[in-house]
Amino acid sequence: MRTVKEPGSAHSGLSDWYWQRLSAVVLALLLPLPFFLMLMVFSGGVDQQGLLDILDHTASRVLHTLLIMALMIHAYMGLKVILEDYVHMLGWRIPLIASMLVMMGGFGIWWLAIIWAWA
Amino acid sequence: MLASIAHRASGMALVLFVPLYLWLLHGMTSSPDQYETTLTWLHSLPGKCSLWLAGVALVYHFSNGIRFLLIDAGWGESRDMMRFSALLVLVLAAVAALLFAWLLFL
Repeated sequence: MRTVKEPGSAHSGLSDWYWQRLSAVVLALLLPLPFFLMLMVFSGGVDQQGLLDILDHTASRVLHTLLIMALMIHAYMGLKVILEDYVHMLGWRIPLIASMLVMMGGFGIWWLAIIWAWA
Repeated sequence: MLASIAHRASGMALVLFVPLYLWLLHGMTSSPDQYETTLTWLHSLPGKCSLWLAGVALVYHFSNGIRFLLIDAGWGESRDMMRFSALLVLVLAAVAALLFAWLLFL
């Protein structure tokens, strides 16, 4: 037991592994879309009215919401693993993971507010 | 090893682009004046570089993520195959980097 220095008894390993991959598949399908949208706006292929028409569509609101959920799960787990690997002091690690979660929650709410706002 | 670190680095970069994307969305869904301001920023050098970086990070993370999923599914688990697919992903990202540079800067 002396060699075990991490409190690794959460028993959430398989569940984390599974959710990381499930969210990865959702993101692989959805994440390229907003990037292409930005490229279209950049190139002038879509003007503001066109952009609003796309964003206001129910399908795009639903897809955006799914994207936000998958992104938050995926980014939270990814950054958590990175912090766990590189931040060894538990007194730093736990507050860092917690503040990351709070910041992500804030950005998620802001994002949802933009997507679901009446334009 | 290198592929894992690059996957983490590109993932971190993509997370940092989320606030930028929200700022862009916010500006573009506001008044027409705000839209113009946002579009002007997007066409400035920092804007173009951000789009380029986001694109390259996305292509790398996307391709390497699919590579990881395939390896998890039991495909290409041998040492040689993993080296080859890691190189393939790097080549894909390099091609994407050139393509985005051509799209954005020319």
